[in-house]
Amino acid sequence: MTVGSQLKQTLAVLKGVRGTLRIYANQAQEEEAKKAYGEGLEELKAIIGDLEERLGALEMAEPQYKGS
Amino acid sequence: MPESLEILLRSLALFLLVFLVVRLMGKKHPAKMTPFTFVVYSVVAVIAALTALKVIENFILGLLALAVWTLIPLALDYLAARSKVVHDLLHGKETVLIKQGKIMEDNLKQARLTAEELLRDLRVKDVFNVADVEFAVLEATGDVNVLLKSDKKPITPHHMEWKVLPRTEPQTVIMDGNIINEGLTNMGLNHRWLEEELEKAGVALENVFVGQVDSSGEMYLDLFDDAVQLPQPKVRELLYGGLEKAQADLTKYALEVEGEEAKNMYAGNAEKLNQLLQKLRPFLLR
Repeated sequence: MTVGSQLKQTLAVLKGVRGTLRIYANQAQEEEAKKAYGEGLEELKAIIGDLEERLGALEMAEPQYKGS
Repeated sequence: MPESLEILLRSLALFLLVFLVVRLMGKKHPAKMTPFTFVVYSVVAVIAALTALKVIENFILGLLALAVWTLIPLALDYLAARSKVVHDLLHGKETVLIKQGKIMEDNLKQARLTAEELLRDLRVKDVFNVADVEFAVLEATGDVNVLLKSDKKPITPHHMEWKVLPRTEPQTVIMDGNIINEGLTNMGLNHRWLEEELEKAGVALENVFVGQVDSSGEMYLDLFDDAVQLPQPKVRELLYGGLEKAQADLTKYALEVEGEEAKNMYAGNAEKLNQLLQKLRPFLLR
């Protein structure tokens, strides 16, 4: 498995987590939980952004792996 | 009027009356009554029975006695709620049995409690060692309540400085195959949500005996058919696991990748994820 596809896998996991966190942030009854989920969501968005940028750079450098 | 008819009518009237009176007297549990309340309830019961069976010939006289025995306790209850003196006079005061780890023998004698009985009452509270007790009090109801020495108290999350999630009460949304609308609205959910959850679990509404939603929005289902194994909600653990895996991945990439900038980016994000894991842990794992 190439670095690019590994990174894609990690990204997929993180995006799955992001989706679930978003549901929880909306569904949680306690103010404290709502806040924690919301903050977690924001942090996760930033991390995903970083990783996507890195993935873009990888694909530019090694176009043969694009889409794999 | 024939005798039987009269007794029937009297019984019916008193049944309703006593029902109302007991309701009016409040929600005190029979086992937790103080002697005074016990006497009041007993006298009300006896008067009602005697009047219903015509032992007290005059119905009006029976009602009169009943009125006295219900209205005066009600008035006293009213006063007791406002004045500690009246309350103590009516229901008695609690007696301190053990103070600072020492048994108060005088108080024990005053309450007519033997050492044997004290030890038994302590054992009821799961205390077998008198040495573990800091403070014990005999309530007016006869219960003994115990405060353990601080090093003998059970450990709570507070002692461990753990952060735990406040949980509100779960709401029952399905009972006997019927949707309970009150539970759903309390949770801010609707029928559509419930249908989706049931579809996810792969069960029909008719097959559910009890469905409860906890404060995080997860539903627990109990089916009529106990042979069916339902997967219990594990989304939280999976979510936490996913985050942990991603964190490990990023740490690995940081080690593998060449180039200072990419390394720093991975390491920084791995650290951020780590902090996120710490923060969400109490909410996701419990």
